[in-house]
Amino acid sequence: MIATAPIDAVMQALAVPTRRAVFERIVQSGEITVVELTRGSGVTQGAISQHLKSLKQAGLVAERPEGRNVYYRARPEGLEPLADWMSHYGAFWRDRFAGLRALLKEIDR
Amino acid sequence: MKDAASDTRDIVVEEVFPHAPETIWKTLTTSELIGRWLMAPTGFEPVQGKRFTFQTKPAGAWDGVIHCQVLEVSPNERFVYSWKGGHEGNAGYGSLLDTVVTWTLSRTANGTLVRLVHAGFVVPRNESALETMGNGWKQVVPSIGGMAGEQA
Repeated sequence: MIATAPIDAVMQALAVPTRRAVFERIVQSGEITVVELTRGSGVTQGAISQHLKSLKQAGLVAERPEGRNVYYRARPEGLEPLADWMSHYGAFWRDRFAGLRALLKEIDR
Repeated sequence: MKDAASDTRDIVVEEVFPHAPETIWKTLTTSELIGRWLMAPTGFEPVQGKRFTFQTKPAGAWDGVIHCQVLEVSPNERFVYSWKGGHEGNAGYGSLLDTVVTWTLSRTANGTLVRLVHAGFVVPRNESALETMGNGWKQVVPSIGGMAGEQA
């Protein structure tokens, strides 16, 4: 069994609309800093940091320090308590499509 | 895709490959080739009614075997099989799974559009908690996996 935050923690983290918006922006960005997240968000950097803390505790976000910056990225597996099989197969089929592409190339040669 | 009647969702993946439908059809319906990009099937034949299995990672009381049955075979166009597994004692990965995989091939100007629909995922059972969350996660989940099936 993969260690994931209990479903309650994930639910609570995503139940707050602002926090959910932060999470969705991280998802769309790939990797993003607090400063970039704050820009245009209409809330303070302190508030964004608090949201990031909650998302991290829920296992939805991971951080990567680089120099003076910390980059945040989404952890799709953090959604597993919610989406379980669906998130598993979402990633599975994308991987397999890549495999199919490679095989087709090989067949063509 | 949310189906109001059954409360299930689908995963949809689409890609145009620069190959003829006939070539792609072979990779989807030949046991040896399936083994090279998906998983090696046991007992597979592209014949309607035929049952076959895939061995995946076990979880709890579930042995990891995916049980499939060929439901529809329209050469070079459409290929459908059931995809069942899991155990009711599991939550998340390994929970009960009763789904259908549909492959559709459509010839395009520069190749073939391959569309995969993996249908029948039951949404999480904790409905009241879901209500309090609103619809947020429904938008989040597909964007994470790059799934194309839930564009509102």
